[in-house]
Amino acid sequence: MFLDLDKKSKDKVAAIDDSGRSITYGEICDFTQEFSKQLPQRSLIFLLSENRIGSLLGYTAALSNHIVPLIISAATEEGLFNRLYDLYQPEYLWVPKGKSEGREVVFSAWDYCLVKTDNKAAAMYEELSLLLPTSGSTGSPKLVRHSYRNIEANADNVRRLFKLDGNEKAMAILPMHYTMGLSVIASHLLAGATLLLSGRSLLDKGFWATLKEATSFTGVPYSYEILTKMRFTRMDLPNLKVITQGGGKLTEAMWNTLAQYAADKGKQFIATYGQSECTARMAYLPPELALEKVCSIGVAEPGGQLSIVDENGNETFEGEAQGEMVYRGENVTLGYATCREDLQKGDENHGIMHTGDLARRDADGCYYIIGRLKRFLKIYGLRIGLDEVENMIKAEYKTDCYCKGDDEKLVVLVTDPKLQEVLPAFIEEKTHLFHQRIEVQVVKEILRNEAGKVVNQ
Amino acid sequence: MTNIEKLNKIFCDVFSVEESALNSEFNNCTVEGWDSVHQLSLTSAVEDEFDIMLDAEDILEFTSYDNAKTVLAKYDINL
Repeated sequence: MFLDLDKKSKDKVAAIDDSGRSITYGEICDFTQEFSKQLPQRSLIFLLSENRIGSLLGYTAALSNHIVPLIISAATEEGLFNRLYDLYQPEYLWVPKGKSEGREVVFSAWDYCLVKTDNKAAAMYEELSLLLPTSGSTGSPKLVRHSYRNIEANADNVRRLFKLDGNEKAMAILPMHYTMGLSVIASHLLAGATLLLSGRSLLDKGFWATLKEATSFTGVPYSYEILTKMRFTRMDLPNLKVITQGGGKLTEAMWNTLAQYAADKGKQFIATYGQSECTARMAYLPPELALEKVCSIGVAEPGGQLSIVDENGNETFEGEAQGEMVYRGENVTLGYATCREDLQKGDENHGIMHTGDLARRDADGCYYIIGRLKRFLKIYGLRIGLDEVENMIKAEYKTDCYCKGDDEKLVVLVTDPKLQEVLPAFIEEKTHLFHQRIEVQVVKEILRNEAGKVVNQ
Repeated sequence: MTNIEKLNKIFCDVFSVEESALNSEFNNCTVEGWDSVHQLSLTSAVEDEFDIMLDAEDILEFTSYDNAKTVLAKYDINL
């Protein structure tokens, strides 16, 4: 069974959510059986996720029964949902109660409903297990195709990296539709541990009450901005053993705060690196190096291998080097899908991922991300594709524009002053990026060189 | 600007709403998209504007327009 869920102790609690309800591994297995009677294997299902037990059960039951879910946020903007629905034509939806919108509900449990649509079965590659959007947000219908082996390999690599066992109580607050959120879930279920599944804001009192129970916390850089703002380093959190981070680069100051906190309080601070194209995690910095190797992503996770391809195309696996970072491992996903026909595609990556990130490797073999070859920003752990934002603006307003920025702010250059007012709200609606992190600059013209490259600075 | 005008402007900027939308119904349940990003932007802007440093518990209390006023009163900000 998926993640060996049937081999855990039946009475062991697998997850507790914000409602206070919990579910055991035995109940997960029973639910899987029940779910299998409702829909055939190899069905395509949209899972509209929230961080609670009903949503988790949809995931474990689908994967265990060889039903293929596309996991998207239950808060997905209607326009994007409709685009995905029309493109991929799922046979079923697993949606929070009250969001079935008059469709035919054939089964319900744990405040979730199974909805049958009129769509026909899709032809799918036999190893295809799960689909996730490439970014939580930019409104792109481009999906990452995962195999069964990808999910299991990631879960096992992460379990080994953190040495997880059944005693863990993991704070699972990153969204389920986000690759790292799903990685926290899968790795802890494989370990037979307990998930503290929460959809709460980090500024909700309930979150802080739950954190007192947790043995580990996984966050993105912005999570740690909030935690330090709340002065968590002064709090008494005796159960907390590990704080870990992914989803972008911490500032040096924040890194030092966390590394020092861990050293002072006898906890472990483990920075990680990953991409949804590689089923979340790929690299980590061993906690004993946190104070020494500031802002390093460390080394490849167990089961993976990192290398650097320099500007001359030479690939090296050790010694000092700089260039594009390449990853090899069983968690490298099959490839992308941009239409229903793509679900039939097999493995296009063959276990090798050119990350698009520029890295430096030091003499000790630790990697540092120093730049990006691909055009995207990471704000609040969300990947904001600059080309995608430009295309959205061009399609809506029939105007030229150019996006740039850093991991603090998205900057949009336009020539029409009228757009300065409306664009932040438009981009926020489409991408969920907070409008105060969007700056619209009006320029006389968007200057391009002969190669079509924008030269405005 | 009076203190209440300053507070209203902060809410209007963070949530992109008109001042008329601010009432006792304006809270983290009724306002779509009120998440930690919005809440922390509110509290940071309030700290800058009124030159105060909010306690962690008070940041957690910033879950509605009315609560914001109650919290500010604790810091002797007269609205």
